[in-house]
Amino acid sequence: MPKLLLFFIFFSLLAAAGLPLKGQGLYRANQGQLSFKSDAPLELIEAVSKSLRGVIDPAKRTFAFSVPVNTFQGFNSPLQREHFNENYMETAVYQEATFSGKIIEDIDLSVPGTYSVRAKGKLNVHGIEQERIIKSTVESKENVLIVRSDFTVLLAEHNISIPRIVYQKIAEEIQVHVEATFSR
Amino acid sequence: MWRLPSQDNGAVKKIILFLLGIITLLSGHGQEPYFREHPVGEAYQDVSINQVLEASNGFLWFGSNQGLLRYDGREYEQFLAPDSLTNNQVRAIFEDIQHRIWVGYEDGRILYLEKGRELELWQLEEGLPTVPVVGFAQNPNGLMWIATYGEGLYYYNGQHLYNINNDDGLLGNDIYTLVQDKEGRAWVGTDGGISICSVQDGKKNIENITRADGLPDDIVRTLLPDKSGNFWVGTYDKGFCYYNTARQVFEFPLKDWKYGPIHTMELFDSLELWVGTEGSGLYRYQLRTGYLQSISKGRIRPATKIYDLHIDIEGNIWIINNEEGVVSANRQFESISNEVQNIQAVFSGRDGKLWVGSQEGLYYFDEASGQFHLYLQENVLSLFQCAYGNLWAGTFGNGVFCIDLKTGKQRHLTEADGLTNNSVLAMDGNDKDVWLATLGGATHVICRQNIMNAEQLEVDRFDEASGLATNFIYTVFLDSKGRTWFGTDGEGLNVLVDGKIRNFKMVNGIPLNAVYSITEDDRGHIWFSTAREGVFEWDGEQFRRLSVKEGLRDRAITSLIADGKGNILIVHPSGIDLLNPLTRHLIYYDSEIGIKNMEPNLNAVCPDGYGGAWIGAQNRLVKYTALQEKLSIHPRIVLNQVSVFLEPIDFWLKSNFSYEENNLVFQYVGLWFTDPSKVKYRYQLEGFDLDWRYSSDQQAVYSSLPPGHYSFKVAATENDAFDDEPMAIYRFVVKAPYWRQWWFIILASLLLAGGAVWAVRTREKRLEQEASLKRAMVESQYEALKSQINPHFLFNSFNTLISIIEENPGLAVEFVEKLSDFYRSILQYREKEVISLQEEIELVKNYAFLLQKRYGSSLQLVVQTDGQQGYIAPLTLQMLVENAVKHNIISKSRPLSIEILSQPEGYIMVRNTLQKKLTQEPSTGFGLHSIINRYQLLSERSLRVEEDGQYFCVCVPVIKNERT
Repeated sequence: MPKLLLFFIFFSLLAAAGLPLKGQGLYRANQGQLSFKSDAPLELIEAVSKSLRGVIDPAKRTFAFSVPVNTFQGFNSPLQREHFNENYMETAVYQEATFSGKIIEDIDLSVPGTYSVRAKGKLNVHGIEQERIIKSTVESKENVLIVRSDFTVLLAEHNISIPRIVYQKIAEEIQVHVEATFSR
Repeated sequence: MWRLPSQDNGAVKKIILFLLGIITLLSGHGQEPYFREHPVGEAYQDVSINQVLEASNGFLWFGSNQGLLRYDGREYEQFLAPDSLTNNQVRAIFEDIQHRIWVGYEDGRILYLEKGRELELWQLEEGLPTVPVVGFAQNPNGLMWIATYGEGLYYYNGQHLYNINNDDGLLGNDIYTLVQDKEGRAWVGTDGGISICSVQDGKKNIENITRADGLPDDIVRTLLPDKSGNFWVGTYDKGFCYYNTARQVFEFPLKDWKYGPIHTMELFDSLELWVGTEGSGLYRYQLRTGYLQSISKGRIRPATKIYDLHIDIEGNIWIINNEEGVVSANRQFESISNEVQNIQAVFSGRDGKLWVGSQEGLYYFDEASGQFHLYLQENVLSLFQCAYGNLWAGTFGNGVFCIDLKTGKQRHLTEADGLTNNSVLAMDGNDKDVWLATLGGATHVICRQNIMNAEQLEVDRFDEASGLATNFIYTVFLDSKGRTWFGTDGEGLNVLVDGKIRNFKMVNGIPLNAVYSITEDDRGHIWFSTAREGVFEWDGEQFRRLSVKEGLRDRAITSLIADGKGNILIVHPSGIDLLNPLTRHLIYYDSEIGIKNMEPNLNAVCPDGYGGAWIGAQNRLVKYTALQEKLSIHPRIVLNQVSVFLEPIDFWLKSNFSYEENNLVFQYVGLWFTDPSKVKYRYQLEGFDLDWRYSSDQQAVYSSLPPGHYSFKVAATENDAFDDEPMAIYRFVVKAPYWRQWWFIILASLLLAGGAVWAVRTREKRLEQEASLKRAMVESQYEALKSQINPHFLFNSFNTLISIIEENPGLAVEFVEKLSDFYRSILQYREKEVISLQEEIELVKNYAFLLQKRYGSSLQLVVQTDGQQGYIAPLTLQMLVENAVKHNIISKSRPLSIEILSQPEGYIMVRNTLQKKLTQEPSTGFGLHSIINRYQLLSERSLRVEEDGQYFCVCVPVIKNERT
């Protein structure tokens, strides 16, 4: 289902841009990196996925990102990763985390330069969609956009419940870092 | 007449309204409140103010192109963003539930100010807008709304910042105005109409009101909710309108607006809407009459841009525009000057029309045009309108003109018609009666519908003959209980109750003399003013005076009149005092409302029909409006800063000071914007000051405060009376230094007591020691003496002497010499505590010589001291030697060997071979004991006594110094 949704987003973006699927204006990223960190009093958990994909339409200032949740590596133990996938994120059901929407600032990203932008969109984690504003820096070079972003995800906002027993080991607020290079 | 929009409007009414609207577009001249400017001063010359916010503590905050300014009525204080390299152009100010001041800037930054801190940038994960922040609001759940010009609306729920813009259905990303309704929904005015936004369970909900819904103009520049929850809407092109939220319809008080874009609005409840335009100055729209009046004739120049309007808690309207900057006026008082001279009577008619009587004639005031029209050329002293709508004009010397206002028909009533006199000073009445106060008594006219035509006037006359104290009656007043009161000239107050006249000439021992003016408060108490004795209150039984001493400003009171809010206005040449009859709190108004030296005339006052009053004076007409808003009658007192040694502290957190932090400065301010120059203070530091201190300064300095509990109390007044003024109180403690803390005192006294006990004990011990040393010495001397003059020793010595005296006279002589030396030594040394070791050895040698002669070779004494130096208790060694001789067998076969040897560590040892006598000689055992005791006192080291079967040794410590 999320995959379908993402596809739909992609498609609608393209359609909205009035461009064919191989549109020249779109920037794409297939090898972006998304890492997260849970800094709880008793344990620090870090994991990273290199399977972040995304598309940015500079003309419409729209974008879409997605990452398959089961691609995260790291953790403090294989068991922890298993718990992450099975107990908390329910990866089998909610395979992807996505963020898509529109950039608030009226900026033409195809013009080279470094921009601080705020992306307003829907963040879908664990099948729960939350509207968010995520602040990023975008470095625009010739045909390349490098996007860096830091934000937090509140587990409670995405219905990810933590058993009391591991409360001290998992932070309520997960820090996320995104770094992706888009090209057209 | 267009009334409040919540009332039902019929179609006809609407048409009338429309017509009226067109007529009233004439910008009336009319009355205007007295505007005062609030220049920012030299220091902030380039500052251009564009915003105003009244904080809950009373301060006014202004937003400007150069940051935030705080104003106390006298001075501005600037608050700049910390990194002031960037833009300091303020676009929005707001106070949140926690009393933090939020500031939105042109460049999108949002900063907040906490009490006693500096402006701080709002840090949040989502980042701040990049376009101007133009408004804030906070709903009861704490959700904060932030409006921007370019990025739509944001809201912050305490965790995240969210955005609502075009894409969500907002009518425009450029927001002009943000207000909140009673449900906490955000109403924003945009280029496309009004969007109403709310958030429920994280879901945005947007309702839009556009032209399709009847909004007259797409562009909504300003929104203003009223008490009923409906909104006044100011538009770009089409003026203002009123949106009824319940019926969801727009009502148009004014068609054909031609004053351009509306920038801001402010509302006096049920009274008038003030409208500030983008470039056509300021207007006010009177809700009761539908008149629109331009406020750009007097202080405020026309064609200005009005940035912001605000009504403060004192009833002042604040106007911020591009010409005068900050201007304020107390809305309660307005004046019309130099139109009619010498106003002697005013009366607000049943149709709302104002009639004015002067020496020159009777005028009516056309509020729409602001013009006075002469109606009757008479010297009019008093006015009244009876139940049938006829206007009665009392003249000086020419009776009364009774005028039918519908037909204009007049009837002239004089003494011939039964009036007591043709000079009618005052009139009052009710449905059926009109009372005239004349210079010949009081006339009671029974009012009939046919009064204009009736042949005979139905008249009752009251004069000296009927019981009035005098015929000169200044005023007549009908109270709510059907009594008729008369103010007389020189004879006090008279009242007619049930056909009987009662006179009050003396009250509480004070002669009333002339009574000029009478009114009644809302408790039914009668208040009247006298010529010289001030004001009196009569509660039905007792009189109570209000004199200059109690705060009355002027004795020459011309009028008293009760307003619709329960106050009494006291009018006199110095100004107007507003009296709260219950608390007797007085507020003085004069120059700040532009009525200094207004020269009011006797009883030239009347109610305006809405709780206010008209007041006539020599060359002006003053209108007092009873505002519906709850107004503060006190200056707000704010304790601003507390400094310790000139260093400001967070006094709201700190209340304990160390004994060194005892130099305190309290800075406070009494906020009375109506007239800041009237504010005075009194303060008292309870625990230090015995009484209040009175001052005009905004600070109190206390140095070298002794430790203790204190309360700093400060009150501000605008009328020199402090009785009921609220106080700011700051309680604190200056702690005693540690040496004056109870624990320290206890500890110290314990230590002291302990020390004393110890000292006494040591001294006692020392004395005891000294005493026992003395005793031991005496005892040892005695013992030594006793032993030396032991008859046995003498007998033995003499026997020895006899045996040698013949054989060897030389030796005998020597023997006797030694014996005598020995005794001399004993006598010489016995007084001393210590003697030198040499002396003792010498003595022992003498003694040994005597023994040797007796025992011969049976006794061997070896002395080997190796020149050891030091001191020793006298006769110690001698006594030990004597003991050895005494207790041991001495014979040729078993000679006794005694050795005196030097020992390491400063000891000297006396050792003898142990060969105890079988029968012990009688002994007190005192000798050795005495030595041990003496050494305990003399030296830290003690005697060592050893006995090992072969030897008996005693080691005696040698003392290093003569005195220990």
